[in-house]
Amino acid sequence: MLAILFSSITYAAILAIGCASITLLYASTRTFNFAHASMVSWGFYVVFILYRFFGYTPYIYIPIASVVTAVFAILIYLLIIRRLLNLGASEITLMMVTLGIDLILFAILNMVVDILKRNFGVDATKINIVLSDPIIARIWGAPIKYIHIVSIVTAIVLVILLHIFLTRTNLGIAMRASIENPTLASILGIDINIVYALSWFIGGLLAGLSGGLLVLFMEGTTTIGFDSVVYYFAGSIVGGLYSIYGGLLGGALVGVSERFLTFLLSYWIPDIIAYRFAIPMMMLVVTLLIYPKGLAGLVRRI
Amino acid sequence: MSLEYLAINFGIGAILALSLNIEVGFTGIPQFGRVMAVLVGALAAGGLMSRIAAVLLGLPWGVEYAENSARYASAMSTVLATSPLMAITLLIITLILAIALGAIIGYAAAFPALRLREAYLGITLLSFGEILRSILYNYTPLIGGTKGLSIPDVFRFAQGFRSQTAIAFILLITIVMLIISERINRSPLGRAMKAVRDSEIAAEVYGKDIGTIRAYALTIGSAMASVAGALYALFTQTIYAYQFSRYEFTFLPWAYIMLGGVGNNIGVVLGALLFSSARMFIVMYKYEISTVIPIDPVWLEYLLTGLVIVMVTMFRPKGLLPEKPAFTLPRRVIEEISERVKSSE
Repeated sequence: MLAILFSSITYAAILAIGCASITLLYASTRTFNFAHASMVSWGFYVVFILYRFFGYTPYIYIPIASVVTAVFAILIYLLIIRRLLNLGASEITLMMVTLGIDLILFAILNMVVDILKRNFGVDATKINIVLSDPIIARIWGAPIKYIHIVSIVTAIVLVILLHIFLTRTNLGIAMRASIENPTLASILGIDINIVYALSWFIGGLLAGLSGGLLVLFMEGTTTIGFDSVVYYFAGSIVGGLYSIYGGLLGGALVGVSERFLTFLLSYWIPDIIAYRFAIPMMMLVVTLLIYPKGLAGLVRRI
Repeated sequence: MSLEYLAINFGIGAILALSLNIEVGFTGIPQFGRVMAVLVGALAAGGLMSRIAAVLLGLPWGVEYAENSARYASAMSTVLATSPLMAITLLIITLILAIALGAIIGYAAAFPALRLREAYLGITLLSFGEILRSILYNYTPLIGGTKGLSIPDVFRFAQGFRSQTAIAFILLITIVMLIISERINRSPLGRAMKAVRDSEIAAEVYGKDIGTIRAYALTIGSAMASVAGALYALFTQTIYAYQFSRYEFTFLPWAYIMLGGVGNNIGVVLGALLFSSARMFIVMYKYEISTVIPIDPVWLEYLLTGLVIVMVTMFRPKGLLPEKPAFTLPRRVIEEISERVKSSE
């Protein structure tokens, strides 16, 4: 019981970080980022590959993984999204182009895995380094691992850092201004391009971070992002896509509902474990039917 | 063999692209849950038609069928091989069921489409598809869950020409779908759909109910996609929920319509043809490719799809064949029809 609670909170924290990324990108550049799936996979694999080659502890490679995906994100913005935004592309076009990028990143990741297998003898088709994370304590028999603490602390620290960044620094205020009203912000001398590039950078950072934490939480293949991205989407849509806090909240809700709610429901309906996947999706549909704009209405904008 | 692969991919892909074109190209609904209607069609073929056949032939059709489907399906295929009439009846029943169920699910999807816009709607539709897929994957009695379900072969009566007959039939349906889509494109309904896409307010001002038009588009599109799903299941003679992946049955058709030209029926069919040919070449030269570069050629297909989507959006946003204004009937014909309508009143 307690073990399930810990793992669902951990999972919720990891999801929330990723949902914040999707929300930030949508709020700033109207781009619903399908490439999030591959970015999570890349974060997942960069940590694994570096750990496999250099050893020590996987945690020190998580920041590197975030930076790798952040570089991807900034390249995506500079090469593709910026041009399309200037052309006034529709939301659907922007969604589609990120889907194309997603497939490219997915293909490259799989090629890297193939090359690792042929040239370095590292079989990375299915990776599992969950066991490299030792149990550090037990509370009433429920094991506590580093990942439980690290991911929850990371999520909380991120909330605080983002809050300070968005409300106390000039750059953060400029960012909020350009999200609220790009035209007015550019009249006041804010370089929208830099702000958007920065939000893609932060978005990529968060996506990689989420993937890097995920590798210590569950096993997976290169499709880990592709499989779990639906939860990230559900979380960010539940959160409302307009407020980063909403995204964090939505991700946490989806994570907890998938793991913990299913667990609680399984007392009454034993078969429900198999349909665990459907629970967050149902939640998404119900939320949207009640609040068509997500929970953002309940949270303050940004 | 590889031509067969091309033909089947092209036929199914073209039907899916046409159905997507009605929803995305004409009406502007971000349909990211195409796989849902496809699954419903496959369900009509696998879950219902095979049960009907089992009842007709006096075999068990309940849960026992799902558990031992391979044995019962092969028994039924043997019977169907000798009675073409029954096989064709079952084929027609499958198509009717697929159209009906697809239309129902499309109409159901229209309810969120009334309230939601753009990204919200796209992700909701995507979630619908994923919910259905995960339920079918886990729920054993209907289509065998993780094991999948075998379907009796309705093309077996052609003996040695089984797959040729099946492919000819699928291509025939593709042509029918193309004619239907083109007819919709030129009809008042098609123009109303485009009006909704281009400006909802303007369409509303001219007295078009946006909800109804969106519902029409989703119903027609889903029914078409459902037929594609049914044909695919009949051709492969199996239905397995994870065979219907988000990539192959939602994202690839999107790539087809982006490449061919959103809103142009001929264009999307061309897009499907080009893509299926590229996929066929990758499959054909799989071995040769893997000796040159040390990777699995499957990833080249993903890379190609991704590159095509990005390049087309960046440099040729209207696709290879851009949308053209639809030609309506000549004025004379319209006046004649109007005369006929007036005289019949």
